[in-house]
Amino acid sequence: MMPVPFIDQFLFVGLPYLAIVTFVVGCVWRWSTNRFSYSSLSSQFLEHRQLYWGSVSWHIGILLVLAGHLVALIFPGLWSGLMSVKAVLLTVETVGAALGCVSLAGLVTLLYRRITSNRLQAVTTPLDILVVALLIGQVLLGVTTAILFPYGAYWAPGTVSPYLWGLLTLQPDATCVAFFPAVFKLHLVGAWLLVLLFPLTRLVHIVLLPWQYFFRPPQQVVWYAPRQGKQAHALSQQLETRRDFAKGVAGISVAGGLLSLGVFENLVRYFQGHRPDPKVETDLLEKKMVRLKQAAETRELELERQRNEIILVAKYAELQANKGKYLTDYSMAPALAFKGPDGWPLVISAKCTHLGCTVGSEMNGQGKILCPCHISYFDVKTGQPDAGAPAKAPLRHLEWVLIDAQGKEIARKSSGLPATNNPALLAQCSVYIVKPKETR
Amino acid sequence: MKLAELIQTSREYLSERLPLKHLDFQHMVEKKEVPVHRLSWGYYTGGLALFFFLVQVVTGLLLLFYYQPTVSDAHASVEYITDHVTGGALIRNLHAWTSSAMILAVLVHLLMTFAMKAFARPRELTWLSGVALLGITFAFGFTGYLLPWHQIAVNATKIGMQTIEALGDFLPGSMSEWPRLIRETIQGEASVGQATLSRFYALHVIVLPFSIAAMLGLHLLGIQLHGMSPGIDEEPRKQERFFPVFLIKDLSVWGVAFMVLFVLALCLPFEALYAYPLFAPFDPKSSTPEGIKPEWYFYFVYYPLEILPFWLVMLGQAVAGAVLLVTPWIFRGTSRKSLRLLAWGAAGYLLAMTLFGEQIYHLFKGGTL
Repeated sequence: MMPVPFIDQFLFVGLPYLAIVTFVVGCVWRWSTNRFSYSSLSSQFLEHRQLYWGSVSWHIGILLVLAGHLVALIFPGLWSGLMSVKAVLLTVETVGAALGCVSLAGLVTLLYRRITSNRLQAVTTPLDILVVALLIGQVLLGVTTAILFPYGAYWAPGTVSPYLWGLLTLQPDATCVAFFPAVFKLHLVGAWLLVLLFPLTRLVHIVLLPWQYFFRPPQQVVWYAPRQGKQAHALSQQLETRRDFAKGVAGISVAGGLLSLGVFENLVRYFQGHRPDPKVETDLLEKKMVRLKQAAETRELELERQRNEIILVAKYAELQANKGKYLTDYSMAPALAFKGPDGWPLVISAKCTHLGCTVGSEMNGQGKILCPCHISYFDVKTGQPDAGAPAKAPLRHLEWVLIDAQGKEIARKSSGLPATNNPALLAQCSVYIVKPKETR
Repeated sequence: MKLAELIQTSREYLSERLPLKHLDFQHMVEKKEVPVHRLSWGYYTGGLALFFFLVQVVTGLLLLFYYQPTVSDAHASVEYITDHVTGGALIRNLHAWTSSAMILAVLVHLLMTFAMKAFARPRELTWLSGVALLGITFAFGFTGYLLPWHQIAVNATKIGMQTIEALGDFLPGSMSEWPRLIRETIQGEASVGQATLSRFYALHVIVLPFSIAAMLGLHLLGIQLHGMSPGIDEEPRKQERFFPVFLIKDLSVWGVAFMVLFVLALCLPFEALYAYPLFAPFDPKSSTPEGIKPEWYFYFVYYPLEILPFWLVMLGQAVAGAVLLVTPWIFRGTSRKSLRLLAWGAAGYLLAMTLFGEQIYHLFKGGTL
């Protein structure tokens, strides 16, 4: 492994420890000597318009970005697990970069305000300007890193997090970060500089953790005077509404942003269309061909019924007494062919006379078949439905003709059947249905 | 002279029903107020139905990109949407769930409007357009149900169409043929087939959307011109500005409704409520699978049809339809209290038939369905 240059050793091991020591000692010393200087030194009553836009965007942006950094550093395993989902990674990256820009805009506003207002100049120290400049540089470097070296949310937990844990557990290891691009290294150095400056500047207000800001009604700092007190009251009412509005807008835009990020990618792909792999494509085409064939078969059946006077149902030998064979009759409705109890074929319509469902083909013990839609049993022999069944009319028996292998007609339903038949002869025959005579 | 009077009366009638002089920003936005009282939630039901309709338009348009309305391809294209198109299953599921939600919202809206006597003068035309919207919504449900071309769709449509023909038995002489002719005209052929699919598709995606847009325009115009109806007899506790107070609440309700639908559509396929064979592609040559039923929103006429004599149910339907049409006039003098009772009765009937229809059927018929 390449040795870590001295300058990196200093910047990523020496400087951090210097910063941390200064931070702890400085904070304790300041707290014990000058407790009430733990403040952000509000200048709201000197200027509040630009402050509103600058401070709100800066704080919202930086708090969320910092929260993201913290979670990734403290729980690197959990974080990289989350980031392995591409949609989440993209969302976090985009939201992070956007928030970075928001906080940058806020900072620039704040700096502009500091250096353009006479009143503010009076209360501004060089350290204040230094802190703002450092922060601007730091955010710029962060956003640049996010843009130049994307997916930082994915690679950082494996590199930056071990480095930090190493520092905290007194096993510093600069190799984790020494070979990063300069932009990112500068970002790290900037972070340590800020930690170093922390106890000396107004940054100390962070340790006060002003949670109550989230819950307490808004406060407005004003000059004390009766007339202005009244105005301030009206103003605070107005601010309350504005605060609600801002909260609503923030909620809607965050939720909407997340939702649209999640939906947008899928929506684009919805319109792009699917590009299945060849195997899936083949399966799909095959399925389509099967359906097309089915449709074509139906058309052929119709044609056949237009043209032919008789249509083959089955060989007589194939008919069963208990299970009907489905066929399509001349009106394209389903019908069933059985071997009747007397040995002759029995062809009966299977279109339920109630509401037109297809009757089942299995005959039960009482010689009946069932329409499953509304439970009508039909006697196969007579076609009659059970009393009380939803169907009232009987199923029609269809005309059939038996033709032997030589094409000679053996028997026809309508021409009266002999009581006995010759099974050997019948076994060679085929059953046909006959075109009904025009009724209309 | 007589004619002049007639013209004068109808002009007065119309100008009271459609006060177009209120067609300005001030009346429709600035001054519009919504009463606050214990039935105020009724004011959300119409907006909710509108929102569901908008969801249907969007998801329907998306489905239109992939759906193919032919007997051989319809089912395959629906399967393709579900299995292969990115987000296709979600879109389709959302369309299916929202259709039910829309019908539910429309029914509740109807009952609430009735109970609050919102049909009373001068809002008769708004009510009538609402009844037309109800019919169109049911037509949407009936035509859309056929499009996936699976077993339950085609068979349920067949049964529905056959119901029309069954009317023929009650008509005298050559008129008994008319229902059959009507049925075949709607179907486009002797049995439910490609012609039926083509025209149901045309109805579902072109004819009905245009009709509903026109009716909806009239309906919303009526509401905006007249403002909200008071809804209760006593003075309301207070009034709320429509813009922006009520509108924001309305939008929040929409947001919650969308959230619920989205989660439902994501987690629970609509088809999970039925046995699979019902969703196999329709096969004209096999037997009909068990459990063919219309959608739940037709149970209120389906179960009575199973239990009671056909003519009685049809007569009941005809009477109910006629009553809906002339409600603004026959209930003109009825008190809101009685109207609320009637609405409760109707709601009870709808709930009983929809939730417990099957049990009621067993009660009357015995045996298993």
